[in-house]
Amino acid sequence: MDKNFQEEFTQIIKFQPPLYKQRYQFVKDLVEKYKPKKVADLGCADCSLLWMLKFCSCIEVLAGLDICANVMKEKMHTLSPLPVDYLQPSERSLTVTLHHGSVAHKDPCMLGFDLVTCIELIEHLEESELKKFPEVVFGFMAPSIVVISTPNSEFNPLLPRVMLYRHPDHKFEWSQAQFQSWALETARCYNYSVEFTGVGHPPTGMEKVGFCTQIGVFVRKYPQTGESVQSEKPTEAVYKTVFKAVYPSLKDEKYLQNAVISEAVFTAQIIKHRLMSKRKEYGDDPERKSKFQPSMDCFPDHLGKLLVEKNMEPFVSGNEVYIPLTAIFSFPKVNRLCGTFEKLCKLIAGKVALSSDGSAMMLNIEHENEEN
Amino acid sequence: MTGRARARGRPPRQAPALPAVGDASPQQLQHPPHPPHPQQPQQLHAPPAQAEEPGAHGRLRGHEGILQERRPEGLQVSSGLQDMSLRDRGGRRRDFHDLGVNTRQAMVHVQESKTGFSGKVIKLSTNHFRLTSRPQWALYQYHVAYSPDMEARRLRSALLFQHEETIGKTHAFDGTVLFLPRKLDTKVTELFSRTRNGEDVKITVTLTNELPPTSPTCLQFYNIIFRRLLKMLNLQQIGRNYYNPSDPVSIPNHRLMVWLGFTTSILQYEENIMLCADVSHKVLRGETVLDTMHSLHSQVGEERFRDTCAKELIGLIVLTKYNNRTYRIDDIDWDNNPKGTFRKSDGSEMSFVEYYKKQYNIEISDWMQPVLISQMKRKRGNIQGSVALIPELCSLTGLTDKMRSDFNMMKDLAIHTRLPPEQRQRELGRLLNYIQKDDNVQKELRNWGLSFDYKSVSFTGRVVQGEKILQSGSMFDYNPQFADWTKETRGVPLIRAVPMDSWLLIYTRRNHDVANTLLQSLFKVTPSMGIHMNKPNMIEVDDRTEAYLRVLQQRITPDTNIVFCILSSSRKDKYDAIKKYLCTDCPVPSQCVLARTLSKPQTIMTVATKIALQMNCKMGGELWSVEIPLKQVMIVGIDCYHDTVAGKQSIAGFVASLNQGMTRWFSRCVVQSRGQELVDGIKVCLQTALRNWSKWNRCLPSRIFVYRDGVGDGQLNTLVNYEVPQFLDCLKSIGTDYSPKLTVIVVKKRVGARFFAEIGGGLRNPPPGTVVDTVVTRPEWYDFFVVSQTVKNGCVAPTHYNVVYDTSLLKPDHVQRLTYKLCHMYYNWSGIIRVPAPCQYAHKLAFLVGQSIHREPNLMLSERLYYL
Repeated sequence: MDKNFQEEFTQIIKFQPPLYKQRYQFVKDLVEKYKPKKVADLGCADCSLLWMLKFCSCIEVLAGLDICANVMKEKMHTLSPLPVDYLQPSERSLTVTLHHGSVAHKDPCMLGFDLVTCIELIEHLEESELKKFPEVVFGFMAPSIVVISTPNSEFNPLLPRVMLYRHPDHKFEWSQAQFQSWALETARCYNYSVEFTGVGHPPTGMEKVGFCTQIGVFVRKYPQTGESVQSEKPTEAVYKTVFKAVYPSLKDEKYLQNAVISEAVFTAQIIKHRLMSKRKEYGDDPERKSKFQPSMDCFPDHLGKLLVEKNMEPFVSGNEVYIPLTAIFSFPKVNRLCGTFEKLCKLIAGKVALSSDGSAMMLNIEHENEEN
Repeated sequence: MTGRARARGRPPRQAPALPAVGDASPQQLQHPPHPPHPQQPQQLHAPPAQAEEPGAHGRLRGHEGILQERRPEGLQVSSGLQDMSLRDRGGRRRDFHDLGVNTRQAMVHVQESKTGFSGKVIKLSTNHFRLTSRPQWALYQYHVAYSPDMEARRLRSALLFQHEETIGKTHAFDGTVLFLPRKLDTKVTELFSRTRNGEDVKITVTLTNELPPTSPTCLQFYNIIFRRLLKMLNLQQIGRNYYNPSDPVSIPNHRLMVWLGFTTSILQYEENIMLCADVSHKVLRGETVLDTMHSLHSQVGEERFRDTCAKELIGLIVLTKYNNRTYRIDDIDWDNNPKGTFRKSDGSEMSFVEYYKKQYNIEISDWMQPVLISQMKRKRGNIQGSVALIPELCSLTGLTDKMRSDFNMMKDLAIHTRLPPEQRQRELGRLLNYIQKDDNVQKELRNWGLSFDYKSVSFTGRVVQGEKILQSGSMFDYNPQFADWTKETRGVPLIRAVPMDSWLLIYTRRNHDVANTLLQSLFKVTPSMGIHMNKPNMIEVDDRTEAYLRVLQQRITPDTNIVFCILSSSRKDKYDAIKKYLCTDCPVPSQCVLARTLSKPQTIMTVATKIALQMNCKMGGELWSVEIPLKQVMIVGIDCYHDTVAGKQSIAGFVASLNQGMTRWFSRCVVQSRGQELVDGIKVCLQTALRNWSKWNRCLPSRIFVYRDGVGDGQLNTLVNYEVPQFLDCLKSIGTDYSPKLTVIVVKKRVGARFFAEIGGGLRNPPPGTVVDTVVTRPEWYDFFVVSQTVKNGCVAPTHYNVVYDTSLLKPDHVQRLTYKLCHMYYNWSGIIRVPAPCQYAHKLAFLVGQSIHREPNLMLSERLYYL
């Protein structure tokens, strides 16, 4: 290559968005495509990829592994649940765990994953570690998909200020041929298929150089083997857990119950409020009270018909308003939370005041009169 | 509504509306119905990704005052503190504890002792815990320099921490200043690192300071360490405090959730460095701003929707779904929606929908919702100006004014938040237990060489003798436990009863009966008080603001003593219009009462009694007095009201006594827009107050006491260095031969300290009159605590008094007694209140002006308590 030409290029090459973001986006797109439930990031460093992935709604288990505990600790708090996660627990469950350890060692906590990502990891491995790496990831962890990215050394002449390697800690940087032969050999050995791609397009006219970051996507060719096979594997834990966060989820009965009670009581208040304001309009004439019918506009339109049914009418007796649970259940939010009417009854039993037969929620009239 | 229909009210500041609950702004000001929309969405920023600014956290407003913003340059709290800037979350560098303001050293008469002596000794415990460190403990401060220079803080940290074997595992570093618990071998240490780019860097670590445990920097450092511990215990930071999210109390009736948490601070107290920890509650709402908007829409309909949203939402603090920050809603942009775009830091345009999808994988479901605007006071990262927030992604925190005035809601909340003394201590015990049991926390403490005494501090206080209430030649004792003399003084003539010869009673048709019932009741209760009352001019009006105003314009005569309005709803605009007219254009005292307050037959006599007393005060009457042994003394009370929502104004209420019995008060107020100095206005107030005092007493006062309320955390320095000299200047300007003795006392209601009386093996609230001036006071101040009020439930909050300037040479005991006496003199409550009466008067005045009038009231009213 002409030296001047090269130098001209080194001035220009700048990726937009930055290359690291393109790599993360690549993983995110992959997650969107395959919808894995359990994802592990090997060499997770400052956890920024994990942080991006925690927002992907298909993921229920996220794990990070790094050889350096300090770099993980620096930002690990970004993986903790936020106050709002407690206020509005989500449908899915999510557990995030960070482990301190080496990819050259097997630990049972890494079993059963759907996707394992190794973004800019292998080039940091010593020769001995690199040797053990395929057996650990492909042989032991054996996830359905493995993503491995690494610098493409053929691109280096185009980068400014790159002397030997892009990072002083890099133990090697491979050409496309070197990476592909290693990848193909690994895939063959562990019964995976592999496809090559990358991020960071080369400048026009220099396509031969290839992507700045080369990526191999490995897909396991054999179906998930049962637990039996895994149990044969050595199960001694060698990683140290440095962080674990369990996100509040509606799958957890405790949060579900809170959410259901909160929504049910709130719904009952709405029904009561509408009932009372209707009564006010009619006046407190006892003659008319008995004739009072809840008006259709008290409730969401689609429920109008249902409410005519006798058992859905809220009614007043003495100082109490009775709101039938069926009426509460007919509100979409409550409905969606509980799923079944029985579930609603079960979750609120003993937590709110119910009528003697347990079919209606009892609310005191007093409160309403205090206002205005 | 607390300010208005007082008759029904609870004691002012007596039972504070839920201490430490929520952070909703106290304002409920109108917002222009259609806010001038910012129409330059490019200037808005979507909140930056958390990754860009690790751990940054929004600060809650609330403690911020006007003084803070213009702390003059060159006024350093203490050297070392300013340049230290250790990054706690949010990177705040404010000195909330007024460290390094040493006012006691200038007051010779309290050098030796600042304690009083009168009263009975009482055994007290508190919520303070001793911090212990090993002997000769010190913190070593190093300066870290890089050659070649490195800009990025993260890079600087990374390079330095490559040398953990040299500097140790325990350190705190902000990019320049490094703190270590141990001394390095040499004063200057040179280290060599290599960057990712293979660049060699020389790091020079130089010892700059050895900090003793009591230095302000060290104290601030302890606080940071302690907050780290709380984080390690998995508590969630919201605003300044930490909360436990895993065990929330939910109050589904109101869709509220309460998180239990802790406020903590570590300070140098009289003899020891101590941790002051208190239980704090955070009220959160299980709904998004969008949910709230929907329910508002269904409540008020299309027409008033935007208006109502503005009123309800502006000023509230929200949490977002995607980062751990809090934002204050400053505006609602109705012309924008999630499809709108903003300019990213790299210059590209992006829509909100796209941004949230891309950044957080969040799908915004409602594309028609407006956008919330939050102004940023300080530069946060590289973002300045305003931030746009999507209602759907924001959760509300705290209480709105509407909620606060909802009696039932507050009752339901109080069950969970007003913890009685024993329970409060038990909750604190749990926190300390966590700290003690957690290995990581203990390790961190050990590494820094720190530990705590896990038993709270015990000491003795004094309960000063109760005051006798003087009314029309009689003297009354009252049960000190209740701190209330309503019963004792019922049916006793007032010191000065102002006749109601000519007055107006205005009501709507609907309230005709209510008006008559009230009138009958007033006729029954007033004679025994000595108030002569004629039949009023009864006027029926339409329930419209203009109708009320027209009647006022037409029917008020120069003889009118007072105007009584019965209002049918708590609509603020009507109340505001009436008050504004009667306080400025047509200065006549007025009494507004909600019809609802008068509608209960069983309470009407009590209500009528209170209204009669209140009206009498507004017309210039005097109710009772206590014995004030000091002669020729003028007492001044100052409080501030910050209207941060609408006008960006601040109002200082200024009240000064006019007579020996402290039964008459002169008042003025300063309305100042942002950027103006508060103190200039106060100078004028003081001058006129002195003039009026001399008019009443035919001489000038020889002693002046200023009780200054409304001083925010961290503002003490400004007060001492600017406001006090202004007072002195003002006094000097009166005349060369005039040099009265001046005492300036800063009054603080929001303090973390709680005291518990150890009675019969249990913990109780200390009785009114409890004075504490040892152990938990600050050595550099002439300060004391007084518990003057009682509370029915929960823990009583002591009031902190800090004498920052004193040439009176009075014994501390006398200053304490005088302060306590003044807590008896607030005429809107026949009992002892939490602050000296002039402070409460000043508060009422500032509140009325800030909420309703927005300009200085007519000076014709200035010698009457028209603002009650």
